Amino acid sequence: MTNSRPKGFANPWLVLGFEVICVLVYELLQKRGASATVHLSQVWSWTGLTALASPLTWLAMGLMIISLLSWLYVLRYIPLSIAFPLSRVVDILVPLSCWMILGEDISTRRWCGIALVIIGLILMAKPAAQLEEKL
Amino acid sequence: MSWQVFVLIPVALIAFVAGQLCLKRGMESSAAKGFHDRKVLAFLGCGIFSMTINFLITLGLLAHLDLSFVYPFQGLSVIIISLAAAVVLREKLNLRLTLGALLISVGVVLVSMS
Repeated sequence: MTNSRPKGFANPWLVLGFEVICVLVYELLQKRGASATVHLSQVWSWTGLTALASPLTWLAMGLMIISLLSWLYVLRYIPLSIAFPLSRVVDILVPLSCWMILGEDISTRRWCGIALVIIGLILMAKPAAQLEEKL
Repeated sequence: MSWQVFVLIPVALIAFVAGQLCLKRGMESSAAKGFHDRKVLAFLGCGIFSMTINFLITLGLLAHLDLSFVYPFQGLSVIIISLAAAVVLREKLNLRLTLGALLISVGVVLVSMS
């Protein structure tokens, strides 16, 4: 890689973390926004259009755009084979935060999946750190 | 289960993987060439087009099938993207990275199945 890496807040690993948090928050906001407006119309709620009545949905859309732009920025610096698996942490953060914040249950199978993802992340952490030294 | 499912699930997956590869290639060249380069714009355009196809097909699948059936296939994209990035983009992939990506992939599939 020829280009020099930005430091501080522009650090691509930090931006990757920011992207994951944006996705996590917008998924939770989508759920909140959609649930809050389901009473408006039983029929139209299935199209997602009623969710537009909630400001939370619009906040979610804003975060979606921010997360996409951050993802493009990350791709500029980090290999896809590392960045993409790491970005999927969000798939375990969503059930974990639903469990902690919304009090939803997590099945045994899901706990097993969460454990596998964590082991995978630990395995990837060292090669990712080595990449960091090389750059 | 109808034949559409067997066709559309792989098509959605391929579109997603191809989209990510195009976006990666486009953003990588943009670092050296900037955003006015025709090749950079072509890759980003193809990437956005592929992601749109994936988005629409996924919506179509969700209209007919359960989320817990459709979403696990997206989990498979983790390992497929890592391998495709190694082959197509010549990214360096060692045993440890491959194993990590594989575990994350299986983990995401398990999480989204329930």
